[in-house]
Amino acid sequence: MCALAMPVVDEVILNLKDKIVRDLKKFTNLNNVIFDFDEVTPYETDALSAYKQKPMVVVLPENTEEVSNILKYCNQNNIKVVPRGAGTGLSGGALPLKDCVLLGLSKFNKILEIDFDNRCVVTQPGVTNLSITKAVENNEFYYAPDPSSQIACSIGGNIAENSGGVHSLKYGTTTNNVLGVEIVLMDGTIMRLGGKKIESEGYDLLGLITGSEGLLGVVTEVTVKILKKPQSIKALLLGFQSVEAAGQTVSDIISAGIIPAGMEVMDKPLIKATNDYSKAGYPLNVEAILIVELDGTESEVNVLIEKVDDVAKKNDATYIRISKNDAERMRFWLGRKAAFPAIGEMSPDYICMDGTIPRKKLPEVLKEITKLSKKYGLRVANCFHAGDGNLHPLIMFDSNIKSELKKAEQFGADILKYCVKSGGVLTGEHGVGIEKRELMCEMFNDDDIQQQLNIKIAFDKNSLLNPGKVYPILHRCAESGKMHVHKGENKFKDIPRF
Amino acid sequence: MSEIYSPVSENELSDFVKQCFADQTSIEITGHSTKPIGRFIETSKILQLKKLDGIIEYFPEELYIKVKAGTSLKLVESELDKKNQELVFEPADLGHLYSGKSNPGSVGGAVACNLSGSRRFKVGALRDHILGIQGVNGKGEVIKSGGTVVKNVTGYDLSKLIAGSYGTLLALTEIVLKVHPKNEECQTLLINNINLEKALSFFLKSMQTSFEISGACFYPQNMSKFFKLNDLDTSTSITALRIEGPKISVTERINSLKNVFDEYKKNISILENYQSRIFWRDTSDLQFFNNSENIIVKIVLPPTYVNKFINKFENEDLKYVVDWAGNLIWCEVPKGDSVLLRQLRKQIIIFNGHMTIIKAPNHVRIREEFLTTVDENIKMLSLKVKESFDPKKILSPGKMYLEI
Ligand SMILES: Cc1cc2nc3c(=O)[nH]c(=O)nc-3n(C[C@H](O)[C@H](O)[C@H](O)COP(=O)(O)OP(=O)(O)OC[C@H]3O[C@@H](n4cnc5c(N)ncnc54)[C@H](O)[C@@H]3O)c2cc1C
Repeated sequence: MCALAMPVVDEVILNLKDKIVRDLKKFTNLNNVIFDFDEVTPYETDALSAYKQKPMVVVLPENTEEVSNILKYCNQNNIKVVPRGAGTGLSGGALPLKDCVLLGLSKFNKILEIDFDNRCVVTQPGVTNLSITKAVENNEFYYAPDPSSQIACSIGGNIAENSGGVHSLKYGTTTNNVLGVEIVLMDGTIMRLGGKKIESEGYDLLGLITGSEGLLGVVTEVTVKILKKPQSIKALLLGFQSVEAAGQTVSDIISAGIIPAGMEVMDKPLIKATNDYSKAGYPLNVEAILIVELDGTESEVNVLIEKVDDVAKKNDATYIRISKNDAERMRFWLGRKAAFPAIGEMSPDYICMDGTIPRKKLPEVLKEITKLSKKYGLRVANCFHAGDGNLHPLIMFDSNIKSELKKAEQFGADILKYCVKSGGVLTGEHGVGIEKRELMCEMFNDDDIQQQLNIKIAFDKNSLLNPGKVYPILHRCAESGKMHVHKGENKFKDIPRF
Repeated sequence: MSEIYSPVSENELSDFVKQCFADQTSIEITGHSTKPIGRFIETSKILQLKKLDGIIEYFPEELYIKVKAGTSLKLVESELDKKNQELVFEPADLGHLYSGKSNPGSVGGAVACNLSGSRRFKVGALRDHILGIQGVNGKGEVIKSGGTVVKNVTGYDLSKLIAGSYGTLLALTEIVLKVHPKNEECQTLLINNINLEKALSFFLKSMQTSFEISGACFYPQNMSKFFKLNDLDTSTSITALRIEGPKISVTERINSLKNVFDEYKKNISILENYQSRIFWRDTSDLQFFNNSENIIVKIVLPPTYVNKFINKFENEDLKYVVDWAGNLIWCEVPKGDSVLLRQLRKQIIIFNGHMTIIKAPNHVRIREEFLTTVDENIKMLSLKVKESFDPKKILSPGKMYLEI
């Protein structure tokens, strides 16, 4: 059950369930409407699985017109709607409400057009992120944003969360790689924003929709740009005797005018955990490791590798290894990608945080996290998208000990508050959802939040689309809940995690 | 003549807008008031943001600069240059277009127009390089969004919405821009004397390589005469492909690229680093329409339609340059020729593109649509978004669309 305050349940709507189910069946194939109490169970949570709620009814429309009719009907009848992609979200964005129609996009699973000449792909939103790359890789193209959930998460969900990946520093997040969408507003209006052309005019509604966590409209078609694969990719695995030295190396690489494709830092607890788990062969006598990946033409990569090697030596790296081939490069990543399951082995439960901080604040923030770890008596391991300042502390606890979940959540909230205090933000890529909703006032004042709510009303007058997400309901900074993993039994446990 | 007001602080600006909100007084928002882009509007007051200026903080190793909105772009670019960094989206210096000399205006003005230079198709638009904004909405409230870090999904991304909103949503006070290390080397492969169709096919071909082309433009014959570069032959059409990066890799890629177009060997030459930089600077700054008295429009189309589109106007007196690897056409329409302007718009709609009037005499700015959007649903939604920031529609009303 969901312990967080959610929008008041509309009993009138609940009592009308049978009629609503009958009506919905008019809009789509009968089998696409799921209402049996047990059959809706797969939809009761996303990857923030500590929070569960069965929806009143699930509907899986097959085309835009059906989506439009369903939304229009719900709008007219005051029924809340929660959109859902693949349900891999980590902040509870797709968490159902008791009186909602859960609108699943899983039947929108086709790639519609591959246009190499205009370097774009037109696809339905339920298609997974990775299958876009798979569809174009024969021609040496790829879709750049690469969340580690990419084999499972949908491109529609990526738009809603503005998802990032390890290569976001150089290639940007979803918002920098999407050209157009078709969306359906809550009143049923179908609209095309952008398209195959490189940019649009007028208000950048596409930019606004991207990262709006399913609150403004339902995405029913997506056009993304695709890039030519780089000629050469190499990586360095660097070990340091302090996190400061690793952090300084990151700053110095950037100061040297280099923008690597990816830069990842892991602290000692995580190095040990991932090494035990994945046998990646990381050096164990170091306090931090830094993986730097460089791409471009062969000679460019070689020049850059030399420069990074230099910077690392100046910062007293005690371990330096340059990938000799792709297999070795993949081995460098092996442990990093196993971060989540490795922590799962070490602790019955953990939650994953997602703050962003200015790069140079890394040592300071890690010190604070260590301090908090002692204060709360809970272990923590840290991985860090060092290139773009996105920090993922993994807080370990045992939910069988009664007070520990709450303690872990408080610990997490303290970390995020400290991120904001250090000039950073609450969430870099996982979204606010229900998880960080009550922390929004750490970053925004009432005027800021009211402005955002006004925009919501411009799109959805009756606030029926995904209500209760992103913006504080209680209008106070309460403590929040986090992604909760029990005995490693979280959903999608086989997906490598960053 | 409207009264001009230049606040010196955000508080002053906020109080001013609050008063205008109470009195329902309309305000045209300007940066340095040098470039009247957008529909012609007459408001009771003109707000100039030029006194809200100065760099608030610049951290080269954090790759961002935070400035007050009225700060001149020139100052920003020269500060970045000291650290060997730049604004990678190549903001246009429209001073050349408007007055025949350099005058890039304010950062706020650039953000309001969201104009990006030749690297656009590789690195994104200006809007992709804004990390955060702060400004005053139509009720006089100070609103912020984003921050100073690149990875941020906390709340709606208002920076994107504000970019290209021509001052109709917020009077910007602070802007955080992403900055980028300068490329060590820049070279350009030039192919003379091929036609547009061929040039477009060369763009396509070069985009399918891994050479990371960062500029691709086409100058028809007679359009490049203004260049004064030793190694540039301006007697015929010019197709130009830019490559940037570490020197050794640039030279290597330029050579490989040359081989791709081997059959045109005779037409090929290379522009070295120094001249290359001038070539692309001048292209992004629209020097080809320097101080034009005519109507200048920006047309964005999917590249595969560009040739067909231009062919439709074969018999017209249409001067143009193609940039962004075939995604963008800059056009000059004789100032009296509204018929041609409307024909262009009509065709653009058919080809799923759009056209924005970047410079025009006032009578055209009064009479003609500034943008192309015909979708009534989008217009309706845009109006609602406008009202969510500015319920009494006092901030530059009518600047983008008559009714918004
Ligand atoms: C193991 C693991 C690793 C992960 N790694 C990363 C990572 O590296 N980077 C990263 O950014 N994220 C990561 N995530 C988070 C998650 O995968 C992304 O947020 C993803 O974009 C969610 O996509 P989804 O299809 O699962 O969306 P869902 O979880 O179904 O929904 C997410 C939100 O989007 C809305 N939504 C979904 N589809 C639509 C649509 N068509 N129209 C409108 N709204 C819609 C929902 O209402 C909800 O608010 C990870 C998750 C897991 C489980």
